[in-house]
Amino acid sequence: MPWLKDEAMPAFLAALQSQGRLWVPVEEEWGSCLAVWEEKSLRLTPGPTLLAAKGLFLPQTEKLFHYRVEAEGAVISESEPPAAAARQIVFGLRPCDVAAVAVMDKVFLDGGYVDCAYRARREASALVALACREAAPTCFCRAFGLDPLAAPGADVLLLPLEGGYLVRAQTAKGEELLAQAQGVLAQEPALDWPAPPAFLLEVTAAGVPAKLAAMFDHPLWDNLYQKCLGCGICTYLCPTCYCFDVQSADRGTEGYRYRCWDSCMFPEYTLMAGGHNPRPTKKERVRNRFLHKLCYLPERFGVFGCVGCGRCLLKCPVNLDIAAVLKKVQEVGTHV
Amino acid sequence: MSNPYVPVIARIERIIEETPDVKTFHLVTAAGKPFAPRPGQLAMLSLLPVGEGMFSVSGQGEAHLEFAIKKVGQLTTALHEAEVGQAVGIRGPYGNGFPVEELQGKDLVFIGGGIGLAPLRSLINYCLAHRPDYGELLIIYGARTPADLVFKEELFRHWPQAPGTAVHVTVDAGDAGWQGPVGLVPALLEQLNPRPQGKVAITCGPPVMIKFVLQALERMGYRDDQVITTLERRMKCGLGKCGRCNLGSKYVCLDGPVFTLGQLKALPAEY
Repeated sequence: MPWLKDEAMPAFLAALQSQGRLWVPVEEEWGSCLAVWEEKSLRLTPGPTLLAAKGLFLPQTEKLFHYRVEAEGAVISESEPPAAAARQIVFGLRPCDVAAVAVMDKVFLDGGYVDCAYRARREASALVALACREAAPTCFCRAFGLDPLAAPGADVLLLPLEGGYLVRAQTAKGEELLAQAQGVLAQEPALDWPAPPAFLLEVTAAGVPAKLAAMFDHPLWDNLYQKCLGCGICTYLCPTCYCFDVQSADRGTEGYRYRCWDSCMFPEYTLMAGGHNPRPTKKERVRNRFLHKLCYLPERFGVFGCVGCGRCLLKCPVNLDIAAVLKKVQEVGTHV
Repeated sequence: MSNPYVPVIARIERIIEETPDVKTFHLVTAAGKPFAPRPGQLAMLSLLPVGEGMFSVSGQGEAHLEFAIKKVGQLTTALHEAEVGQAVGIRGPYGNGFPVEELQGKDLVFIGGGIGLAPLRSLINYCLAHRPDYGELLIIYGARTPADLVFKEELFRHWPQAPGTAVHVTVDAGDAGWQGPVGLVPALLEQLNPRPQGKVAITCGPPVMIKFVLQALERMGYRDDQVITTLERRMKCGLGKCGRCNLGSKYVCLDGPVFTLGQLKALPAEY
């Protein structure tokens, strides 16, 4: 198997960048994210970047079409389906974030209708995953059956070992990527397969979907939501939260319709024009969010809406995170 | 592939003032009818730049679609200010619609309140257009006042004269000219007491009416699979992507808006 020496990483990244726009984990003052690679910008720390990769496939705001207003109303002035999206390579995705992309794929590609803008971006993207030899304190991917040393949905997997990385192409797209990087790859030295990392958090999702399916009216929800501030940070950081709003930007006689990330934590999300709201308080909204992740998505698509990335553990201002909810659900009795 | 979020531009061909706050709009495109929905299906209508919203298709002709729309928010207010000839974006059809094949051979009891008659009307007129396929039609409808009754021409002329069709209209509060019954829809339903044998009840209206209608139907012996309703949710995409119209693991825009009471009872009570 090909071997990438630590010191050859810049040359490897350059070889990737020659094949498309290369996104790598970087460190900003406020936290880590993916940014276009520049010399020496790569920063690898345990766990995923604070901001997930979802914005590369579902941008935070995205134009849907342009219109022009004429005497008798609007006409669509530009509605071409998105041209082939620019080729991009996403480097350093952790196994949890690769699994999260697979959840988004279910929603946007398998859900009955195909979302053409999402599909164009996904098809133009290659995922280069980085296995985890060390877990961050907030990591709990194993709760959802993920292997921190594997990333089945990635095109290329890098496994960090002493002095370098084992490099494995997992798809035809991955083989193509590596073909252009042959010059910087050596042959595998004799190395033992590493042990999985140790996790601080003891979390499991075993039995949770079935239990939750019967807990819609459980008193757990009467208390759980009370500390929620409704800030929505959990949904913006969550790598599988995909909900969006559609709005228009009016510029006088022309404008465009766009979509932007939305949050089920906001009351307007389900508020109807006549004033009725099927999820009127934070109780219903918090309940829906966790049931969606742990019960509804497994029912509809056969996948959890949580990959144990730990972002909501890190940033929820009141610690109403999904690991805490999983524990609570497992503790409570089902008798009401 | 085509971008599913882009509407086709239609024109308002005709506007009918149903009530002080309900208008019916007939929409046509340059190619004629925008599409041919099944009864109970939905369409996204948009006025740019005001906004876009999901509406039940209340009827269709050879070359147009009809939407009965109540003025309740920004978009519907702008629609009420629109004039004949104005452009309206339309995309669809969305949702499952009524199970017209499964309803064949059954007597149908329609129970509507206010603007809730809009989706029922599409099915009533479909049944009348395919008259031999369906049994007796019983239409029970109510609104706040006589002025708030929608589709008056059909309620008082066309439907009562249609074969095998009975129409009962009530109002919460009458006025000087009102000769008909005064009272709530669930009470009129219980008074008429249609026996459940061979029947399916289809109801749509304000949540409080539906609640008491469902209780009445249960008392009258209707099974959960003999009761059908159609739900309303805020929707942004109509494609099962934007997230907000979920009811448990179902999306009202894809799996609904039409559900049997049995289906609804298996889902979280969040409407």
